Amino acid sequence: MKYALFLGCKIPASVPAYELSTRAVLGRLGVTLVDLPFNCCGYPVRSLDREAFVFAAARNLALAGAAGLDVLTPCKCCFGNLRHAQRFLDEDPALRQRVETALAAERLALPAGVTVEHLLPVLARKVGLAAIAAAVTAPRTGLRVVAHYGCHALRPSDVTRFDHPLAPTIFEDLVRVTGATPVEWPRRLDCCGEPVHDANPSLSDRLTQAKVDDARESGAEVLATACPYCQMRFTEFQAAGSAAPLPVLLYPQLLGQALGLAPRTLGLS
Amino acid sequence: MSASFLRMAFLVSLGLCALGLLWRVSAWLRVRIGPDARDIPFHQRLLAAVRGTLATLVSRRTPGVLKAFVLDVFLQRRLFGGSRLRWLGHLLIVNGFLLLLVMHALARLVTAKLYPDYASTHDPWLFLRNVFGAVVVVGIVMVVAGRLRRPPSPPRPQRPMDRVFTALVAVVLLSGFLLEATKVASPKAFYRMANEYIGSTDPEELLPLRLAWATDFGVAFPDLQGAPDPDKLAEGRELHHDACASCHSPPGSSAFVSYPISRVLAPIAEPLDGIDADTWLMYLHLAACFLGLILLPFTRFIHVLADPVSLLANGAASAGPLSPVGRANRRALAIDACVDCRLCDDRCSVAPIARSLGNPALLPSHKLLATHAVATNPRWLDRQAGHARRIAEGAVLCTTCGRCTDRCPVGIDLADLWVAGRADLARAGQPSPAQWVRERSALDWDEALAVQTAAQNPVGPLSSRRETYSACVQCQTCTNVCPVVAHGGEEPGGMDLTPQKVMNLLRLGMIDLAIGSGMVWDCATCYQCQEHCPEGIRVTDVMLELRELGYRRLGDTRERRQRE
Ligand code: SF4
Ligand code: SF4
Ligand code: SF4
Ligand code: SF4
Repeated sequence: MKYALFLGCKIPASVPAYELSTRAVLGRLGVTLVDLPFNCCGYPVRSLDREAFVFAAARNLALAGAAGLDVLTPCKCCFGNLRHAQRFLDEDPALRQRVETALAAERLALPAGVTVEHLLPVLARKVGLAAIAAAVTAPRTGLRVVAHYGCHALRPSDVTRFDHPLAPTIFEDLVRVTGATPVEWPRRLDCCGEPVHDANPSLSDRLTQAKVDDARESGAEVLATACPYCQMRFTEFQAAGSAAPLPVLLYPQLLGQALGLAPRTLGLS
Repeated sequence: MSASFLRMAFLVSLGLCALGLLWRVSAWLRVRIGPDARDIPFHQRLLAAVRGTLATLVSRRTPGVLKAFVLDVFLQRRLFGGSRLRWLGHLLIVNGFLLLLVMHALARLVTAKLYPDYASTHDPWLFLRNVFGAVVVVGIVMVVAGRLRRPPSPPRPQRPMDRVFTALVAVVLLSGFLLEATKVASPKAFYRMANEYIGSTDPEELLPLRLAWATDFGVAFPDLQGAPDPDKLAEGRELHHDACASCHSPPGSSAFVSYPISRVLAPIAEPLDGIDADTWLMYLHLAACFLGLILLPFTRFIHVLADPVSLLANGAASAGPLSPVGRANRRALAIDACVDCRLCDDRCSVAPIARSLGNPALLPSHKLLATHAVATNPRWLDRQAGHARRIAEGAVLCTTCGRCTDRCPVGIDLADLWVAGRADLARAGQPSPAQWVRERSALDWDEALAVQTAAQNPVGPLSSRRETYSACVQCQTCTNVCPVVAHGGEEPGGMDLTPQKVMNLLRLGMIDLAIGSGMVWDCATCYQCQEHCPEGIRVTDVMLELRELGYRRLGDTRERRQRE
C-alpha cells in the first residue's frame, strides 16, 4: 500500500507530533508514504476566492496524479477541502477548463481518478481493523476515550464519504481496536470551534467549552482527535483555562502506544 | 586634483559612511514590528542583543554559526541550489568588486605598502584591474541572464536606493574603463608625462619616443601616420626602456578591456584632449566612488553586516525560544538581512494561490517589505491606493506553515514576522475580512451598498441559480442544528440572522443584506445544516460563496469610505 502523504500547512509547523506518529504507525502497518512538493490545500482562500482555492487544490491533485499515487492526509480540513475541489471541478466545466489551462502553464495536468483519503478510513478500511488488531502488542485496556469526529471529514457526506453522517462508528471502532474503551458522548459530532476562532473568539470559546464539558461529563480520560486544527483548538483552549486539562491525544499516538512503539517516535515525551 | 583634496574627500565620505552605518545598525534596535515589540525600551533591546550575542559566541553553537556564515552568506550555498547562473554571477560581482576596492581604490593604503614598486600602469596591476573589472561585468551579465531565463517569481519592487546604487556601480565601472582607454590614446597625457620624466614637450625632440609609444602603446598622435622609421623606432624604444618601462606595461594585451575601447576612441583622441576628457572622467569616476561609499549603508549591501547577526540570532533560537525582546530585535533585523534570493517564494505554500489571484503580495519576499513598511511608517498603507486590500490578503492567506523560514539562507524567522505583521496591519486598518465586516451591521452594509453601487455585481455560481435555493421550504431544520445559532444567542444582541433566514433573503433577491451579516461571517462551516436539510440545499456552500461576494463588494465599499 502506497500513498502520497499530504501533511498540509499546520502539521509541520504546529503539530509535528502528528507527522511523527502518523509515519511511525503507518510504517509499522506496512503503508508506504511518499513525499511530494505539495502546496497549501486552498482552505484559507476558500472564503475569498473560489477559483484560487480550486486551483491550489487541483495543483496538489495533479502532483499526486503525475506520481501515480492516491493522496493520504491526516488533516480533516485538507481532506474535506481537496474533495470539495474535486466536486467543483466536476460540476463546473468552465472552471475546470480555466484550471486546466493554468496547470498546463506549469506542465501539469488534472489527473483522472486520484482518490483523496483521510488517515482514519485508510486505517479502518484499507489496512483493516483485523490487521491492526493483530499488530497490537500493548493494548490500552481500560482507558476511557471520547472520539472527536471533526466536521470537515464527516460532512457533507455526499462529498467526503467518510462514514454515516448521523451515526458514524469508524472512530470508535479504531479506538476499540487499541484495546481502549470508546465512551459515548452527546456532542461527539459537533464542531470544535476552531474555524470561527479568528472571526469571533468568544463564540469559538463557547463552542469548545461545550465540547470539553461534555467529554468530561461522559467520564472520559482521554479526548482523541485526528486533525491538527481540532488538536490545537482543544489543547490551546484548555491551556488557557484554569482547570486541569483533559488529555488530548492524536489518534496515531494512541494507536502507536498500543502497537508498542516508543513514546519518542510518537511525539510523546 | 591635489592629493590632499582627494584624501579630504575620501575621509569625509568615509565619515559619512560610518555615520550612515551607525544609523542603519541602530535600526535593528529601534524598529518595532508586532504588538509585543511596542513597549520595549531601547536599552532593553540593546542589552538583549549584547547578551544574546555573547551567549551564542561562547556557546558550542559558534562553529555552527560560522559554518552557516561561510556556506550561506559567503558561498551562498542555497542560491547555488536554486540557480547556478545567478550564484556564479553574484560571486563574481562581489569578489571582483572587493578585489578592485582593495587593489585599486585603496592602492595607496594596501597594494603600495605590500609592493613598493607598485604602479597602476604596470603589470600585473594594469592587467589585474582589467581582469577584475571584466569579472564584475561578466557577473552582472550572468545575474541578468539567470533572471531572464528563470525569473524569480514576480519581481519585487527594488528600493529606490538600490537602483541608485546599481547605477553608481555601472558608472564607476564604465568611467573606469573609459578613463583608462582615453589615457591610453591621449597625446596630451603623453606630453604631460614626458615633461615630468624627460623634461621636454617638444614633438620633434620626442619623435623617437612618440614613435615607440604610438606603435607599442597606442597613443593616437595625429601627425604620425604610416609605417615608422625603424631606426627612430629602435631609438625610441631604448629611451622608453630607460625612462618609462619601470612604470608602464604595454596595454595591448594587459588592458584587454580598455585597450580595444581606446582603439575606438583613437580617431577622436585630439578632440577628447581638447575638452580634458580624462580629467572629467576622473572626476566622474571618483565622484561616483565617493557617492557610492556614502550611500553604501542605505543599500541592500547592509546585508553583509546584518547576515552574520541574523545567523547568530538563528543559532540562539535553535537552542530554545527567544525572549520577546530577542524576537523584537530579530524582526527589526530581517529587512536588512534579506539578500533577496527569493528562495522563500519558491517554497511558499500559497505561491500557487498568489499566481491564481495575480497577487504577488502573498509571497514572503514581498511581504517582508510590506511588513517592515507598515510597522515603520504609519502612512505607508494609506499611500498604497487601491492596493491595501491586496497587501492585507498576503497576511490573511498566509498559513504560517514556516516553509519560508526553513528555506531562508540567512536565518530570518519569517513565520514569526508574519504573525507580528498581521497585528500591525490590523492596527493600520486592515484586519482580516471576518473582522472588518463586523465594523458595521448587516443593515448598515446593505444601506451603504444601496447608495454606492447602482448595479448588482455578478453573483457567484450557486447563489445566482434559483435552483440552489428555490426548493427551500423554510422548515428551519438548518437553524435548529446550527451550533452558531445555538451559541450565538449569547452575543450582545444575539445572532442577526439564521441559516434559514439567509436562504429566505436569497429567495427574496436580497443578497446585499446577507453578505454583511454576522451569521454568514461567523458560520463555522460545520456542514450540519447542509447535511440535515431535507431539501438537499447546499446551505454551507452558499454561506462560503456569500463571504466571497461580501469580501469583494463590501471591500470596495469600505475602501471608498476610507478614501473619503
Ligand atoms: S508561512 Fe506563509 S509566507 Fe511562509 S511559506 Fe508558509 S504560507 Fe508562505
Ligand atoms: S527572506 Fe530569506 S529566503 Fe526570502 S528572499 Fe530574503 S533572504 Fe531569501
Ligand atoms: S433546512 Fe433546508 S429547507 Fe429547511 S429552512 Fe434550511 S435550507 Fe430551507
Ligand atoms: S455550516 Fe454554518 S450555518 Fe451551517 S450549521 Fe454549521 S455553523 Fe451553522
